[in-house]
Amino acid sequence: MLLDINAYVGHWPFKQLQYNNCSKLLERMNRFGVDVSVISNLNGVFYKNTQSANEELYDEIRSNKRFKDRFIPFAVINPIYAGWREDIEICVSKMGMKGLRLYPQYHDYGITDPSLIELIKLARDRGLPVAFDIRMVDSRQKSWLDIPKFEPREVKYDIITLEWQLQNVVPIIKEVPDAKYIIVNLATSINLNDEDMALIKKADILFDTSGRTIRGDNTLGELLKRFGNDKFAFGTHSPILDYLAGRLRIESMSDSEADETTKELLRSGNAKRMLG
Amino acid sequence: MSKPLNRRKFLSDTSLSAAGIMLGSNLLGSASGKEPGISPYDAMKDVMKYRKIDGHAHPDTDLDRQIKFADSLGIEWLQISRPASKEDFKPEEFRENNDRVHAAMKKYPNRFIGFFTVNPRYTKESLEEIKRCVDLGMAGYKGYTQVKVNDPLYYPIIEKLIDLKMVVFLHTETQLGVGGYRMKYDVGKPPNTSTPEDFVDAAKRYPEAMFHFAHIGGGFDWEYQCKTLKICPNIYVDTGGSNNEENMIDFAIRHLGEDRIFFGTDNCYHHGVGKVLASNATEAQKRKIFFDNYNNMLRKGGHNVA
Repeated sequence: MLLDINAYVGHWPFKQLQYNNCSKLLERMNRFGVDVSVISNLNGVFYKNTQSANEELYDEIRSNKRFKDRFIPFAVINPIYAGWREDIEICVSKMGMKGLRLYPQYHDYGITDPSLIELIKLARDRGLPVAFDIRMVDSRQKSWLDIPKFEPREVKYDIITLEWQLQNVVPIIKEVPDAKYIIVNLATSINLNDEDMALIKKADILFDTSGRTIRGDNTLGELLKRFGNDKFAFGTHSPILDYLAGRLRIESMSDSEADETTKELLRSGNAKRMLG
Repeated sequence: MSKPLNRRKFLSDTSLSAAGIMLGSNLLGSASGKEPGISPYDAMKDVMKYRKIDGHAHPDTDLDRQIKFADSLGIEWLQISRPASKEDFKPEEFRENNDRVHAAMKKYPNRFIGFFTVNPRYTKESLEEIKRCVDLGMAGYKGYTQVKVNDPLYYPIIEKLIDLKMVVFLHTETQLGVGGYRMKYDVGKPPNTSTPEDFVDAAKRYPEAMFHFAHIGGGFDWEYQCKTLKICPNIYVDTGGSNNEENMIDFAIRHLGEDRIFFGTDNCYHHGVGKVLASNATEAQKRKIFFDNYNNMLRKGGHNVA
């Protein structure tokens, strides 16, 4: 079974996307043999009231009976916007959403904002995974309207996207170490000090295989040794990134890097465990 | 996307939910066998179906590991070079870099296609180095950001490469604040970085030359690149780089045609192969991109592979 833990529908306002609705994504999944995809609505990155995006996603999945059997929806939540607690309740209890997607950079709050901590604790108590993107798009080709790379006071005119590194997510994991975390698109440095690495290894955390950092000295085989076989899962970051690179990182590993049992964990086993 | 819920619709939906019609409720219990309609796609079989020449790579610090990567994705040949980003790239430095490429070629003579580098600011030394490298069996040129490709300093280099029927291959960037494009966003890149417009200028001046515009997957704006380069049939692009955005290959085929695209990785192997296989290119187009286009370019100088 192949379970993609990192896919989207919806729009990116600065570039036309292909395969960005349930119907087109389903065609993609069928062509490349993907059984199930965890999806959220990209529109929620840009709506101030993210619940509108969650309602759109709910409606779209319910519009075709095939969708219900192939997509696992995650809700986009902004914990500094009015009504977010009720939004979570509706998304989970009424709409059947299985996890939360969070965008601190786009929604303009810090990684240890008290509201975020409260949200993560709430998610933990309900058994909901919370997902962070290291980055959404490559900063080098971003739009002039996208979020800045540096703090404004640092470089006055630069508007290249501020890209997180893995260490930028660590503070919230320190605050709530017993929640379920999904961290996708490892596209920048994944270096951690010993203390942070110990924290990550102990946490219930899953990285997807879509990010470009998984290459060179950081092949997936090496990362499995460093982080553990239980820490990675197949992900595409579709429709932003190509549909196969995340898959090839798994399938091209030699037997000495990952046996068939480990590959099955990566294809779906670890994701199933995380998603319950 | 569908329209947002209104209140009445939401209440109706929630009653359905309460009746058990929840989204994503039973998906994790799917059997391991594929559902009808889902292709039993064998990714590695698809990967190995195509012969491949990587038209944009650099020698890894561990050549054995690099060949292992190439083997794992069915890449037969890798074109390698060692250009440098430093502005004052001295003759003794580019000679040393070329020697390292040559050493890699000697270690894996049936896997690496060596390209030399020079700094056009040193005209005499550069032309001497080109002769030395050609004698060593190197097959083409790769430049970086010391001089823009349309700068008169490049003219003697380009003219020499025309004589040799070798490609003029340069690092390029296309982003805000680089190479003269919207410099109010200056991101601190070398000012002589070549842009698509610089390539078009050089390609129009030398229509008999072959230009290779590096890595449309280098993280830059590939739509901007392809739209600008479209008008010059003597400019080729490679698909390499660490950015593997969806639709890049299809967009390039639509704007540049299937004969002007080289498969490349810039040492990013999985996304290099993945983005081509995930495209809507036909089988024949994939064969051209993965192998034939680059080999046809090499053939003009007598450096094609068997």
